[in-house]
Amino acid sequence: MPKSFRELRNELRERLLRAGVAPRHVRRYLTELAEHLADLTAEEQRSGRSRTEAESVALTRLGGMESLAKAMIEQRQFRSWCSRVPWATFVLSPLFLLAGAYLVACFILWSGWKIFLPGTSTPFVPINGFAIFYFGFGRLLYYSAPVLIGWGIGLITYRQRFKAVWPAVGWVLMALIGGTADVHASRSAVPGGVGNISMSFVLGPSVHGISYNMFHALTILLLAVLPYLIWRLQKAGSLRA
Amino acid sequence: MAPSMAARETNPNFMNGVPELLILRLLKHEEMYGYEIVQAIRARTDAVIAIGEGVVYPVLHALERDGALKSRRKTVNSRSRIYYSVTPAGARRLADLSENWTNLAAAIRKMLVGGQHAQVIS
Repeated sequence: MPKSFRELRNELRERLLRAGVAPRHVRRYLTELAEHLADLTAEEQRSGRSRTEAESVALTRLGGMESLAKAMIEQRQFRSWCSRVPWATFVLSPLFLLAGAYLVACFILWSGWKIFLPGTSTPFVPINGFAIFYFGFGRLLYYSAPVLIGWGIGLITYRQRFKAVWPAVGWVLMALIGGTADVHASRSAVPGGVGNISMSFVLGPSVHGISYNMFHALTILLLAVLPYLIWRLQKAGSLRA
Repeated sequence: MAPSMAARETNPNFMNGVPELLILRLLKHEEMYGYEIVQAIRARTDAVIAIGEGVVYPVLHALERDGALKSRRKTVNSRSRIYYSVTPAGARRLADLSENWTNLAAAIRKMLVGGQHAQVIS
C-alpha cells in the first residue's frame, strides 16, 4: 500500500497511461479519487481519529493500487485512440496533416504568384511589400510542417507513455517526406494561362556521397524528436531524484 | 471502538451488472456524487453489498459514456464535486436491469426453496 495519496496518484497515473487509458479519463478519475479521499478523511476525523490516522484509514478504504487500476483498465471504452489504432495515430494522421499543410503551402504559392507576380514565368523571384508576408507564411508552413507534426507525435507519445516504435515510424516518415520534398512551378503553355505548382520527392544531388536532401531529412528528424528526447531525459532525471 | 471501516470487505468479483443497477436506482430520483453513492449503497443494503470506494468511478464514467448518466460540477459548502443523475436512456436501462434481476432473484429463490423441500422429503 502506498504511503501517501500522492504516491498512489502518481503510480496510478503511470499505470493507467501505460495501459492505454486516455489522459483525460485518467485526469478525471484521479480528481474524483482525491475528492473522495477528502470526504473519507473528514468522515474518519468526525469519528474521533487523528488527522494522520484518518488519512491512513481513508486511503485504505479508497482501495489498493491494483483494484483501482484494474477497475479503470477493464473499461475498454476509455482507451485512447493511439492505444487502439497506433498506426493511424502515428503514421496515417501525420501523413494527412503533412499533405494538408503542403496543399495549403502550394495554394499560397500559386495564388501569390497569380496575385503579386502575374507577368513572371516563376514565383521564385525577388519580391517586396505585402508579398513578402504572403509568400513567407506559405514558406514557413512548408518548412515547419514536418517538424511541428513531429513535435505533435512526440507530445502524444509522452502524454500516453507510449512505446516509441510507432512514433518512430511517424518521425522517420515525416523526415523523409520533408527532406525529399521539392516544389516546382511552371508557366502554362497557353498565353496568359495560369501557372502550375507541383511537388516531387527525390533524394537530389549528392555531395561527397551524401545527398543534400537526406541531410535535410536528418535535420528534420533531429528537430522533430528533440523535444521528446528532452522530456524523456527530464523524466528519467526526476525519477532518479 | 467500532469495527474499523478499513476492515470491511467489499464484494470481490462483483456480480455483473449489480453496481450499475444499484447506482441507477439510487440516482433515479436525486443526483449524488461518488462518495454519497458508495455510502448510500452501503447504508441501504445494510452493508451486505459494499462497492469498493474508489472503483465506483469507472462504473460511473462508463454509465455516463453510455448515455445512462449525466454529470455536472457543483459547488456545495465550498466543496466542488461532480454530481451524477440518470438520463431517460438510463431510466430505460434501469427498467431492463430491474426486470432481469427480479426474474433472476425469483428463480434463485425458487431453486433454494425447492432444494430445502427435496431435503425434507428424502
